[in-house]
Amino acid sequence: MPIIEPQLLDGAKRSTDRTIESFRRLSGGDTIFPQILAHVPAYAEAIWGAMAEALFEGRVDHRLKELMRIQLAASANDPYFSTMRSAEAVQAGLTEEDVASSLGDFHTNPRFTDAEKWALRFSYLMYRHPDQVDADFYSEGKRHYSEAQIMEMGGLIAIHYGLAVFMGTLNVD
Amino acid sequence: MQFDPARIDAGFYERLRDHYTESEIVELGVFIGFNVGYHTFFRTLDFYPMFTPDGRLVSQEESRRIYGETPHSHLSADIQQAVAAAAAATGGAVD
Repeated sequence: MPIIEPQLLDGAKRSTDRTIESFRRLSGGDTIFPQILAHVPAYAEAIWGAMAEALFEGRVDHRLKELMRIQLAASANDPYFSTMRSAEAVQAGLTEEDVASSLGDFHTNPRFTDAEKWALRFSYLMYRHPDQVDADFYSEGKRHYSEAQIMEMGGLIAIHYGLAVFMGTLNVD
Repeated sequence: MQFDPARIDAGFYERLRDHYTESEIVELGVFIGFNVGYHTFFRTLDFYPMFTPDGRLVSQEESRRIYGETPHSHLSADIQQAVAAAAAATGGAVD
């Protein structure tokens, strides 16, 4: 039983309806997260809007960003977001073997390119060892990605980790 | 939330409900989550305020000298410290 009661769908405002519909891009069918956010309707639209923008739009491969998102949710001990899979990423070729590899020793796994390994290290290190995400680390990243792409990944990491930590406290499976 | 999220359990939320509505608790949780996420990322980007506490536009190098290598929260003591450093750097008093 979630600690915060999800709002009933028929009690939601139109802006929350849009958010709930958009959330299905990630969840397939589940809508608990936007129903919890619906306690603060303006937040629901703005926060999920930013999360969706970070995950689905931009110039970094969505499949890679989905792996980073799952890795962050797992690191936040959030069963809700860590077990969710973007259907678009799965259609683009994401497999459970990819997910397991990104959660394990991805540093040496030939499944990932050097650019993908750097991106996975970016999300892996950010909340475990942020001091290792330093100027040298970013210099290495710039060999693979533009500054815009690095900011896109940084934004994804920041918002998806922060909200996964919060969801992890709410007892939602 | 940032340092020990495991302590934010059902009992913790029960105590929060003595003071806040469910909407306010969601508002606080999302606000904290958003800030936990972004401030850690921003810190790795190694950028400093463009302005001194008295409003002078400064370079990143000067700003680093004023505000210090270690990030501080903007509690009044830290702001006073930065104002004093800015005053010393300019040789004059700063309000």
